[in-house]
Amino acid sequence: MSEWRTRELVPALAQFVVLALVIANFGFQIDSRNASAIAPGVLWLALVFAGLIAFGRAFAAEREQATLEAMLMTGAPASAIFAGKALAAGLLLVVCEAVGLLFGVDVSAGLVGAVLLATIGMAALGCLFAAMVAQLRARELLLPLLTLPLWIPFIVAGGQAVQSAMGGSGAFDQAVKLLLDFDILFVVLTSLAARFVLDD
Amino acid sequence: MSALVADRLSHWFGSEPALDSVDLAVDRGDHVAILGENGAGKTTLLRILATAMRPSSGKLEIMGLDALRERRRLRGRIGYLAHAPGLYPALTAAENLAFFCDLRGADRERVPEMLDLAGLSEVARKRASELSRGMQQRLAIARAVLHDPLLLILDEPDASLDAEGSELLVRVMKDRTTVLATHDQALATRLCQRTVVLRKGRVLGAGSRLRVVQ
Repeated sequence: MSEWRTRELVPALAQFVVLALVIANFGFQIDSRNASAIAPGVLWLALVFAGLIAFGRAFAAEREQATLEAMLMTGAPASAIFAGKALAAGLLLVVCEAVGLLFGVDVSAGLVGAVLLATIGMAALGCLFAAMVAQLRARELLLPLLTLPLWIPFIVAGGQAVQSAMGGSGAFDQAVKLLLDFDILFVVLTSLAARFVLDD
Repeated sequence: MSALVADRLSHWFGSEPALDSVDLAVDRGDHVAILGENGAGKTTLLRILATAMRPSSGKLEIMGLDALRERRRLRGRIGYLAHAPGLYPALTAAENLAFFCDLRGADRERVPEMLDLAGLSEVARKRASELSRGMQQRLAIARAVLHDPLLLILDEPDASLDAEGSELLVRVMKDRTTVLATHDQALATRLCQRTVVLRKGRVLGAGSRLRVVQ
């Protein structure tokens, strides 16, 4: 609701994704022949950096306004608060993805599904690390350092799935199954870790 | 019967002691003021009593429960006003209370009642960021008693409050065990039967309001 009122993040993130795609378009000279090979990588790069901004803000704002402690003091489970934040930040990323996918890409159900699957795990991990670094002064630097290595599996499997959905080579089913496995693993792990990160 | 018993509570930030073997017992219905200068350890003590943080050592029992183990259960019975109001600036006063009602599983019908108690009915639809600091503090106090807690922990509740706001404190503290921290000795003696003076994390003195003032 706060984001809906203030519209602080969504327009900036959407603009960031569009600009990244436009610059990549000029930089890589993307055309119909090489689109399926280059576009997935460009899309993931734009989404990864948009995600870092979105998840970084998710907990930084709560810490700055001291609302995180107020929420925890209600007795609500830390894992539920974490899930709510991850869901909200994930939705922001979905908006960015929608902007990115509509930007000159042939959208298919497989493509959308693969991107959404990757978003789930990325949101869970991104939010966990965002919560960990929110109180630190160097959080902008630390968040990518902690998050990016663990996002690599999603980028590899997601990239493969998107490439395959866009008509390139690669096994779509296998990549999607891998994404699903990673989602389950990281959603469970981050939910368990949330209590220690948020409340201790 | 004791509502709260703290036994040798200590807390360190790095090698710096913030609290040093603090003992405190608060009976049900008691109002206790924690006095002390800046850096005396008042906020640290209150955060520990409110279960917002764990002490480095010591025991804490609240309403017969081990506060270090039963934090979530106790939070449903404690109303805590932190140093910062902790409101969502983009939400209205009523929406802020409604949101915390939902988190606590309380009935949203409490919202107008609490706004009325805090004297904020007229600004219910104003965003928290548009309220004065005193109004924000009143809203935060209303939120602290949203779930009708048995124990109130208030960290400098008089910050930015006018005379009307101070009356709000009297109303919310009525029939509730309360521990509050303040710099204002006059407020402490007016609202509380007992005062505890902290200095450099240690209890310097405790007793009835008359004795402490002396």
